[in-house]
Amino acid sequence: MNDPVVRVRDLRKVYRVNERQTGFGATVTSLFRRKFKEVPAVGGITFDIAPGEIVGFLGPNGAGKTTTLKMLSGLLYPTSGEAIVNGDIPWRRRDEFLKTITLLMGNRSQLVWDIPAADSFLVLKEIYTIPDAQYGATLDELTALLELEPLLHKPVRGLSLGERMKVEFAAGLLHSPRIAFLDEPTLGLDVSMQARIRAFVAEYNRRSGATILLTSHYMDDVVALCRRVIVIHHGVLLYDGALADLAERMAPYKRISVTLTTASSARDLSSYGEVASRDEYHATLHVPRREAPERTARLVRELGDGLADISVEDPPIEEVIDKVFTSERPLEAVPA
Amino acid sequence: MIRIYRQLFTAQFQAAAQYRIQFLLWMLFSVIRPTIFMAAWVAVAAAQGGSVGGYSVADFAGYYIVMTLVGHLTAAWNSFEFEFEIRQGRLSPKLLRPLHPLHYAIVENQVFKFSTLPPLAIVLAILALTFQVHFATEWWHVVLFVPAIVLAWALSFMLGWVVATAAFWLQRVQTVNTLLQRTSFIFAGQIAPIALMPAALQAICYALPFYYILGVPTEILRGGVSFERAVALIVGQAIWLGVCWAAFLVAWRRGLRQFSAVGA
Repeated sequence: MNDPVVRVRDLRKVYRVNERQTGFGATVTSLFRRKFKEVPAVGGITFDIAPGEIVGFLGPNGAGKTTTLKMLSGLLYPTSGEAIVNGDIPWRRRDEFLKTITLLMGNRSQLVWDIPAADSFLVLKEIYTIPDAQYGATLDELTALLELEPLLHKPVRGLSLGERMKVEFAAGLLHSPRIAFLDEPTLGLDVSMQARIRAFVAEYNRRSGATILLTSHYMDDVVALCRRVIVIHHGVLLYDGALADLAERMAPYKRISVTLTTASSARDLSSYGEVASRDEYHATLHVPRREAPERTARLVRELGDGLADISVEDPPIEEVIDKVFTSERPLEAVPA
Repeated sequence: MIRIYRQLFTAQFQAAAQYRIQFLLWMLFSVIRPTIFMAAWVAVAAAQGGSVGGYSVADFAGYYIVMTLVGHLTAAWNSFEFEFEIRQGRLSPKLLRPLHPLHYAIVENQVFKFSTLPPLAIVLAILALTFQVHFATEWWHVVLFVPAIVLAWALSFMLGWVVATAAFWLQRVQTVNTLLQRTSFIFAGQIAPIALMPAALQAICYALPFYYILGVPTEILRGGVSFERAVALIVGQAIWLGVCWAAFLVAWRRGLRQFSAVGA
């Protein structure tokens, strides 16, 4: 790996939260004696990210993904551990550091709602001291990539969710950050807008060479963009490596879906593979990856006219990730 | 920095323009309280043969009209805003930009004043004519008023920020705010010029910051204070500003360590 742009060592964050008991008596007591509970959000994670990588940061709700992103962007102080991002300690929040990163959150807006985005962009231009020529070129490029032209001069509050996300992206990338932390950037967007945002992120990464750390609950985002994934659960790193390898190890089978021409639920298909689901006309079989071509050929041959349709595919990535979560034990890392 | 301020001012002014009626109402509300006190003291002075404690009817009118102007120029509402900024996650994007969140608040504060000063001036002029005010202002009072009002605004603004930073630890800063407002009401010279208060109350007024925000610039611009006293009061403002600035720096640094960026 090249010199990492993100270097994380045993990073921990423990939140101290006020614990409230239910009931009148407990409420009265809490007026005089407040109880605090320590909630570990990130429990000591370690990883490196090389320049230009797009890494998917995966985990169920409350896994510690956003907390990690907030620490790496400098919003939060960690409880312990180290992080160096772009050669700087993020939570010092030095201006030089802040000019090299961006944190985009799908559910949060950083633009002034009452004025057009173009005017907010001019404020950002001055805050980030972007030279005129660079500002013009970057804005032109972002406008073209994100098709912003019709949106720039409308007040932000009048934009749809998808349109707003596009201008949020532009606002976050105007200063050409070398690292972009994207937290659920496609949250709430329709399928077509999700696809456009994904295409934009890929193209932006290709053109600018920026490093991207992305969290998303939409596996399509991860599959389309990330060769490498980091999986955390309960603040613990479970896997760091190639997405393809993860799929192979956690779900070492292919899925063969068959549709039959006649209702024949009695027909035994177990000789072709493990029957995962079955009704009168349809069946789903799990077969070892290597044997998938041969089993498929045999199915076509032996079922003959009784076969209306057949398809072979990888198991859905959601299923793979879910298996990692439920196993709750770290997997050996495999380089992406 | 000038370019940043110019651009921020333009953007905030554009946004504010959409809330002009709301701004106008806020401005008018800020006039109501001093006007009521002015009317009350004018009535008392008139009933007592034309003056109370050396303040004539016209002096009271002058005092409260200047105080309304000072109150407007020194108003700061960060302590109210900040709690919402934290809760709604609006602080986080600001923290991630290479510009301290103070600057946004300074500009927002100035935009409100800039846009409401002309109508306020008209209201004050009408009040001044109605109550036939009297000012004992010398030219050097006007000169000293400039640093006095700048320091008063800075003190009010920074005091607001010290309270605002409490939101890093407390869920509700509004209670602290209310306490501060009530205290200011008594000790800033709003109920009466502090010269009319008992000695013990006057001592408290001098010891707390509120008088240096409202009372000091008011007394200086209204005239009637000696040069030495005016300078001493300005020094008092500077000391309090220094205290608030230091307190803010400490609270801000510690608060950010505490900040959990919830919902952001």
